[in-house]
Amino acid sequence: MSEEITVTGERRELISFRVGDQEYCVDIMAVREIRGWSPATTLPQSPGYMRGVINLRGAVLPIMDLACRLGMPMVEPTVRSVFIVVKAGDRMIGMLVDAVSDILSITDDLVQPTPDLACDTVRSFIRGIISIDGRMISEISLDRLLPEREALAA
Amino acid sequence: MDELEAIKVTFFQECEELLADLEGGLLAMQDGNDDGDTVNAVFRAVHSIKGGAGAFGLEPLVRFAHVFETLLDAVRSNEVPSTPDLVATLLRASDVLADHVSSARGLGFVDEAVSAAMAAELKACTDPNAAPAPVVAAPVVDTIAFEAAPLAAPVDMSVGAPIGADDALDDDDLGFDFQPMTITIDEQAADVAAAAGNVWTVSIRPKSDLYRKANETALLLRELARLGPIEATLDASAIPPLDQLDAEAAYATWTVRLETEEDETAIREVFEFVDGDCDLEITRGEGLSADAALAALLAGDAPAAVVETAPVVVAEAPVVVEAIPEPVAAAPVVEAAPAPVAAPVATPAPVAAAPAAAPAAKAQQIDVPGPGQSVIRVDPERIDRLIDLVGELVINQAMLAQRVGEYGIAPSSNLAMGLDELEQLTREIQDSVMAIRAQPVKSVFQRMPRLVREVASMTGKQARLVMDGENTEVDKTVIERLSDPITHMLRNAIDHGLESPEERKAAGKNPEGVVKLAALHRSGRIVIEVSDDGKGINRERVHSIAIKKGLISPELQLTDEEIDNLIFLPGFSTADKISDVSGRGVGMDVVKRSVQALGGRISITSRPGQGSTFTLSLPLTLAVLDGMVVDVAGETLVVPLAAIVESLRPKPEEVRPLGPVGSVLAVRDSFVPLIDVGLTLGYREASPPPTEGVVLLVEGEDGSRAALVADAIHGQRQVVIKSLEQNYQQVDGVAAATILGDGRVALILDVDAVISLRRREPPRPVEPTLIAAE
Repeated sequence: MSEEITVTGERRELISFRVGDQEYCVDIMAVREIRGWSPATTLPQSPGYMRGVINLRGAVLPIMDLACRLGMPMVEPTVRSVFIVVKAGDRMIGMLVDAVSDILSITDDLVQPTPDLACDTVRSFIRGIISIDGRMISEISLDRLLPEREALAA
Repeated sequence: MDELEAIKVTFFQECEELLADLEGGLLAMQDGNDDGDTVNAVFRAVHSIKGGAGAFGLEPLVRFAHVFETLLDAVRSNEVPSTPDLVATLLRASDVLADHVSSARGLGFVDEAVSAAMAAELKACTDPNAAPAPVVAAPVVDTIAFEAAPLAAPVDMSVGAPIGADDALDDDDLGFDFQPMTITIDEQAADVAAAAGNVWTVSIRPKSDLYRKANETALLLRELARLGPIEATLDASAIPPLDQLDAEAAYATWTVRLETEEDETAIREVFEFVDGDCDLEITRGEGLSADAALAALLAGDAPAAVVETAPVVVAEAPVVVEAIPEPVAAAPVVEAAPAPVAAPVATPAPVAAAPAAAPAAKAQQIDVPGPGQSVIRVDPERIDRLIDLVGELVINQAMLAQRVGEYGIAPSSNLAMGLDELEQLTREIQDSVMAIRAQPVKSVFQRMPRLVREVASMTGKQARLVMDGENTEVDKTVIERLSDPITHMLRNAIDHGLESPEERKAAGKNPEGVVKLAALHRSGRIVIEVSDDGKGINRERVHSIAIKKGLISPELQLTDEEIDNLIFLPGFSTADKISDVSGRGVGMDVVKRSVQALGGRISITSRPGQGSTFTLSLPLTLAVLDGMVVDVAGETLVVPLAAIVESLRPKPEEVRPLGPVGSVLAVRDSFVPLIDVGLTLGYREASPPPTEGVVLLVEGEDGSRAALVADAIHGQRQVVIKSLEQNYQQVDGVAAATILGDGRVALILDVDAVISLRRREPPRPVEPTLIAAE
């Protein structure tokens, strides 16, 4: 089995986390750090999923509510909520999630294509679905999650 | 090649400084200060530019600098008297030279016709004074050759001939009409006939002073190489072992075999600048260069490493030339003798004293004390990073103080006292770091005399620029953005402010108008004033243009001040350009916008017949902003202090409803729209009565006023500006962000955007009859 894996693809590491009762993951290479929740400063004229901005050692970091971005109801963050600081392009952004659960080591052949869902938003944000030990973990496509700067303004 | 490019960049930086020195010196001469030092400094500036340009093969630049230098040399030696007319010519020549430098840099173009005309003019200045020269030359009569002599002499000899005779050949277009013929001066005649290639042996033993004065042998060798093919031998035998080495001493000796058709005087000229700083021996003939070096080697107890590498022959001149402008001045020696001992020798005192690169151009300025000699060049990014870090330090310190305060620790405790000290230190560090970026406004001001000359000659006016406060310091980012507004305002002052010389005479004024540019610090801001003694703003005309352009309604009664301010209206300038009337509007809206982008303000005072004054008031830095911290719907916001006219708590009778939802504030007989910030930014759905909050009376960039309603004011504070766009994007109504003492992000309000956001709200049905119903 392991031989097959090395043949078919390179091993990648992913960080998985919970949003509501669902599991998602992002490539570990994009993750800069994981921090406990602290109240954010509200941004005016911003989409509902933008929680606001916080101070990350002197830089202004926008926080995106991942549940809300994925179209699920917004949950009030608790002291146990965390945000994952990810780098996408030249921007750093924090993703608010419920909890970080795991580090996965996978090969691309474990990634199944996203099922044909009715919801376009979800389909475009999910790079693929990974099935491990009966869990279903959706890999998030960061570049699509962060809208273009122009689009944000709309 | 990258290295060479880097050297070139340094050279151009040097050029900037040299051009500034040149212009400064010429302006000093214009003011009647034409003592030897000033003239020498002017000469050396041009000479150094030429020298550096020669090393990079920048032909047109070298050629022009050459002619320029020739005239300056004549002035230096009192052959040409320094008259106001001459200085004016020299100033114009310095402009052309600056153009040549920009062109060589790839930043602009030189008008060849202008350059050639200028060169001819410069040459004409030397010509009449060159007349006595033929008398000296007369005894040795040889028709063609001696026509050239008077010109050739000052050019090639006194100047040290950095570009050599070959260059003169190319100078036909500049009026050099001589042929490259051997000058048969009596004593030389025999030798010339005897040997086709004259061989000289030059032995150079530099003293420590030579390096201390920022000279270096490599340059001398290069100069020698211009006279003819050279073969240089380094005698490094005197270099002591490393542990006995005095880094400031001079140990090396050069023996140069030079083949040239020049005479001994020409060779001596090369060493003109280092007279007395080195032992010089010039002998005719093959000499004993190699033998002498060998003998010295054998005699000395030189370490093996040195012996092996010492007699290095610099085979061809170009090698030397390429190495010369290297930031580490003595590089060629390093190349020549890569022995471990050689490196310290190669880095003599001047290099240690000026690690910021002392390339060819600078090295020749022996005794001109440059204003920025102990200057370090630092990548601005490093300073930005430092400023960021200090900003974080300030925030952290504030956070710490707040936490400690929460624990109820007595102010007399060691901890609290230590914190106090930390706070003071932090503040001092912040001030010092900000001071690093502070620069005198000189760098902007020094470009202006040229602008004034150009605009004056273009418009046919006579203008004299008086500058004041050039050493006033302000943050670099501000300086960089000052140039455009000042340029605009000066251009306007001459073009529209000053009358023509005839008009001025008729009005009983000096035909030469005075334009003044001044900088000063006033209550934590920098104030730039541009004033002229011209005719002042023609208010009637400005008023009628504004009406004609539909910018104001004809019925509107305006005060003088309000009329003056009309020239800042966008659109006014266009009208001005088309009809070319004497308003003062070219680009004034642009000026106002760029000033406001810097967090500054602009104002005008004008008196008919006596002139106008434009006053810019700007913050000293863009990294820090003075702000008013306010609470709005549970959020903390910072309102830039520059926009706030006053803050007040409105009385119920001052708030007047207007229309179904809007209301205005009565402030001293005028009515200002009330804007609830929380509502505008979407923090809340409905606004509480304004009388429960605080009102900030603000002024937008177009001069429109508004009353911003906030819940509470926390006070005034300096905040460090943080970009919101770096990780997110621009947000309407928000200028930037900052971090408060508690570590939270606060948004800095964009006052103009808030005013216009409000205007963009969908129009609500308003019954015209209701407006007056109050």
